[in-house]
Amino acid sequence: MDSPTSSGNIRFNRLLPYWAVLQTDLRQTFRSWVYRLWVLMTVIAASGSILYKVGIHREAGIVQAASERSGDLLRGLVAVSLGLIALLSVSGIAAERSTVADAVLSRGISRHQYFLAKWHSRLIMILVTFMVLAGAVLAAHHFLLDPDLTLAGGIAAIALIAAVLVAVTSWGVTIGALSHGTVTGITVFWVLLYGGLFIVSILPDPYPTPDRIMSRLNAVLRGQYNPALLWQGISCGVGMGLLAAVVGVVGFGRKDV
Amino acid sequence: MADAAAVLVVETSHLTKIYQNRQIALNDVSLSIEPGAVLGLLGPNGAGKTTFLRLVLGLHRPTAGGAKVFGKPMCPSAADLRRRIGYIPTNPQFPRGMTPISYLDYIARLFGMTANARKPKLAMLIRAVDLLGHAGDPIAYFTPGQTARLAVAASLINEPDLLIWDEPTHGLDIEARRSMLELIKTLAAEKTVILSSHNLTDVDEVCNHAAVLNKGQLIFHGSLQDLKGRIRKNHYELDLEGDQKSITKAVTAVRGLKECLSALLRHRRLELKLTDDTPNTAILAQVFQTLFDNKVTLVSVRSVGMQTEQAYLDLVEKEESRGFTRLYQPAEAA
Repeated sequence: MDSPTSSGNIRFNRLLPYWAVLQTDLRQTFRSWVYRLWVLMTVIAASGSILYKVGIHREAGIVQAASERSGDLLRGLVAVSLGLIALLSVSGIAAERSTVADAVLSRGISRHQYFLAKWHSRLIMILVTFMVLAGAVLAAHHFLLDPDLTLAGGIAAIALIAAVLVAVTSWGVTIGALSHGTVTGITVFWVLLYGGLFIVSILPDPYPTPDRIMSRLNAVLRGQYNPALLWQGISCGVGMGLLAAVVGVVGFGRKDV
Repeated sequence: MADAAAVLVVETSHLTKIYQNRQIALNDVSLSIEPGAVLGLLGPNGAGKTTFLRLVLGLHRPTAGGAKVFGKPMCPSAADLRRRIGYIPTNPQFPRGMTPISYLDYIARLFGMTANARKPKLAMLIRAVDLLGHAGDPIAYFTPGQTARLAVAASLINEPDLLIWDEPTHGLDIEARRSMLELIKTLAAEKTVILSSHNLTDVDEVCNHAAVLNKGQLIFHGSLQDLKGRIRKNHYELDLEGDQKSITKAVTAVRGLKECLSALLRHRRLELKLTDDTPNTAILAQVFQTLFDNKVTLVSVRSVGMQTEQAYLDLVEKEESRGFTRLYQPAEAA
């Protein structure tokens, strides 16, 4: 090996480390088998469901309202995707602990920049993917079934689901950052997620539980929703996501890697 | 001059790390590393070498005590301090799907280096570490030697003042190891280096200072000459040639010398320990005369004690034998 020569003083840009981790993580997530499995599974499930409903609608002549079928399908996709979304979000930091994270965090990047980059990357990946898939599902239902969807309703429904995903993804990344390994993190997160959903579902009627919010999707898709309640739901999801991020930034900054 | 000396590159004070109240990885380690030092960090497996390095890098938080790097306290968010450090972990891991060019570009961006600074630098480093022919190949298929060279390039891309290399020769073949040692020697002329290694020959060759950790405790810190000064003296190995009967007779005669503490014959190798009371040249002259008288030829003679390895082993052995006296007699390094 030749000895490298010095090329003088180097100028540092403090935002570059954040962008480097963000871009690299987006690329890595896009290539990961979990992400590809999630997309493939969602596409196959959605396509099968849509084809089946179109068959009933056109061949059997049983009218299928787009809002009903879209609402049901989106609810189902969210429920089925939660497991893989949890895996994607928890593994963001946990999977790199003691391996690649060593090589990254020993450079000129602070803990909070690393956490934020990972959090933003997973949010972007999961939200954009789900929005594109949900948009495609709504468009297919609108054009192939009895069209009773409204544009505002569709946007509101997607925003509502996105808020739920923001909360789930953010807590996933945080738990991954605070746990000692991917398996532990995923186990803890699944227990909290499904246990939490069960506990919340037994709350009395006035409380806006995820079940109740999601069951109103059909009406929201038709444009029948109370904007104040919708904002409340979205704010709740985003608020929980921000809380998770604060816990994650503080906790990860004090953690050994 | 006094001001320059005051800014130590690394200074740890009562550095202690206990993992989850279960394992004491590092116990009250206080040491300082001056600019320009090449420190060999020695110790058996589980001695706390990697923990020490991770604390200095801010990857771990100390349970007690602290570490200062370039005069400032090191903590997990001290990115500015880490910009002046080049680190190679024991088994460097790389993100999947990257090539040397994309990896070094990524590392340079992690240091916040702008495109104008990082692109020429990474090209120069790829050439310097002899990876030009593999610059576009996926790292996943690299040999350990190529991986080590890439890790070296990554640790140098930010032009660091301090190099922390954890087992850099681990898993390398003879040629790659030689090349790595030559590089360390060259870099040592302008940088401070902390080299953690199991290979004492490597440390002996490139380091001028040594720190020995044993079970999380610092049992020696000083120059390599100081370490060697603690070794057993007058300990030699002689390779002999001749018929076995003559050799046995000669060894019996050597054992009869009152200055000879022990003479152990293993096949045709004689391990000789002499007393310190008489000049060794005089005793060795008697030994050689005895061999000559018995028609035994001397093939080679080595001084066992003058090796760093022996000094290190003696030190660890001595520390082990101290038992509970550790409580009352502070370690020599402290």
